Amino acid sequence: MVTLEFHDPSGVIAVKQPHAPRVSTLAGKRVGFVSNEQWQAYRMLPLLKSLLEADFPGIEVLPIDAFPQGNALIGSEETAALVKQSGVDAVVIGNAA
Amino acid sequence: MTNAVAGLGLAPDAAMVTFPIAMFLPGSDITPVEARKQEFYDGLTTWRSAFAGGAASEPPMIRVQASSAEAAFARANDVMLTNRWSDGLPVWPPTRERVEWILRGTAEPRRRELGTFPPRGGVTTIESCAIALAMAGGRPEYLGVLIAAVEAFLDEDSGSEQLQAASGSAFPVVIVNGPIGAQIRLNAGFGCLGPDPQRPAGASIGRALRLLQQNLGGALPGIGTMANYGGMRYTNVVFAEDEANLPAGWPAHGVERHGFKPGQSSISLAFANGVTNIRRRGAKKETPEEDALQGMYRMADFMRVPNMPGLSGYEHGTPGILMLPGVVAKTMAGLGWTKTSIREFFWEHSRIPGEHLRRAGCPAWIEIDSKKVTRESLALDPWPITASPDNFIVLVAGGGHPTNSYWLQGYSPGVVGRAIEVPPSFEALIADAERDLGPRPA
Repeated sequence: MVTLEFHDPSGVIAVKQPHAPRVSTLAGKRVGFVSNEQWQAYRMLPLLKSLLEADFPGIEVLPIDAFPQGNALIGSEETAALVKQSGVDAVVIGNAA
Repeated sequence: MTNAVAGLGLAPDAAMVTFPIAMFLPGSDITPVEARKQEFYDGLTTWRSAFAGGAASEPPMIRVQASSAEAAFARANDVMLTNRWSDGLPVWPPTRERVEWILRGTAEPRRRELGTFPPRGGVTTIESCAIALAMAGGRPEYLGVLIAAVEAFLDEDSGSEQLQAASGSAFPVVIVNGPIGAQIRLNAGFGCLGPDPQRPAGASIGRALRLLQQNLGGALPGIGTMANYGGMRYTNVVFAEDEANLPAGWPAHGVERHGFKPGQSSISLAFANGVTNIRRRGAKKETPEEDALQGMYRMADFMRVPNMPGLSGYEHGTPGILMLPGVVAKTMAGLGWTKTSIREFFWEHSRIPGEHLRRAGCPAWIEIDSKKVTRESLALDPWPITASPDNFIVLVAGGGHPTNSYWLQGYSPGVVGRAIEVPPSFEALIADAERDLGPRPA
């Protein structure tokens, strides 16, 4: 038998930070949207906003344009700071295709 | 998306609700959002990452066994395909011996980190480059060029983070200047963008870069890269400027664009997403002046299209790379043309009339651009396809024949240069290549 041993070329990935903790319930919570305004986000995110408002008593869902929109802006430190300042408990980000 | 999440240093999973592409198109039926609303709610409440924190450990070596060397080689290639590590063509299994041999091409420690490959975030080291170059059929003397290209690729000014996953089918173009081009058999002449057994370095280096883009960066077609077509991605584009045929007074690209000293071996990395041959020469009794000017108009006319690839690098990148054969460059230089005057001609004569922009819906793309300079350019009519003539890249490269020039349509947020470092034993590596491959072609 011939044995051939070689490197796995996919390397390693370093996990440097945890995902945001989840909320126990959406009732009574404050929820925001960060939108790139692409891929029908202007239709889908308002629909999701109305569904959240209908299904969870006491929920406050911020307007879709509460934070800067567009691919060039939503990943910035400035937008992240605005999201933190708003005091939201959870954020939905969309859309990607 | 999982690539992008991992590239941010998060665990490579995320709470996502995914839909078929049809729902993201204009006029789509979006009622599935309501039908699957519970998935959104779960993502905000009960979802948990399956990954623990901390750096992943070094992956184990892969082992295959077979009844013969030929069968083991075939089995290794099957493993490469089933793990999605190959590009579809046979690869050289990166054995310890092969990788050690490639590593002779650098004095750098193998564990030195060059960064993380976007968007997946694979940790990129000197050894990662050697593994990819081994797979791509490379040689030790190519490694310095690959390392410099990877450093440029990982520089945030290159725009690679966006282009790796984007649908626009961008591929890196690596232009090599300095003596290393001829030393390692990079092609600068006939067929310099294609396969050449006499000058095989470009194909191997470019293929290795592509394998890194895929295996560390996660750019698998339809999974990690949404490139609709992905042209030129087997080997990307790696070639040398034909400095031996630069007219007197025409600076080498690395000197002109990046400020390297003449004679410094260097790379310049840009992105393109199109390749086009342009018929440059006249067909009848043109004077030399007419022949040059008509060719210049044909090139500029080709650039004057409302496709807007140059938007991504409007301010500091490039709308494209124009390659002229040395024989043409020398004739044009004799008529008074310089690289600078050629760029200025292109800038002036590739402007697009505002009416043509509007009928093609271009203003909407310009208005949403992140750069103020780009947005404000919409007031200009005719609209220049890039902010400055200096953004055009003009090179002397290609075979010594006057009929054609070549246009690599830019899709390049930046153009990044890097000096190439070689080990003290470089001359010995070149001698080894002479032994293995025969004398360098003239």
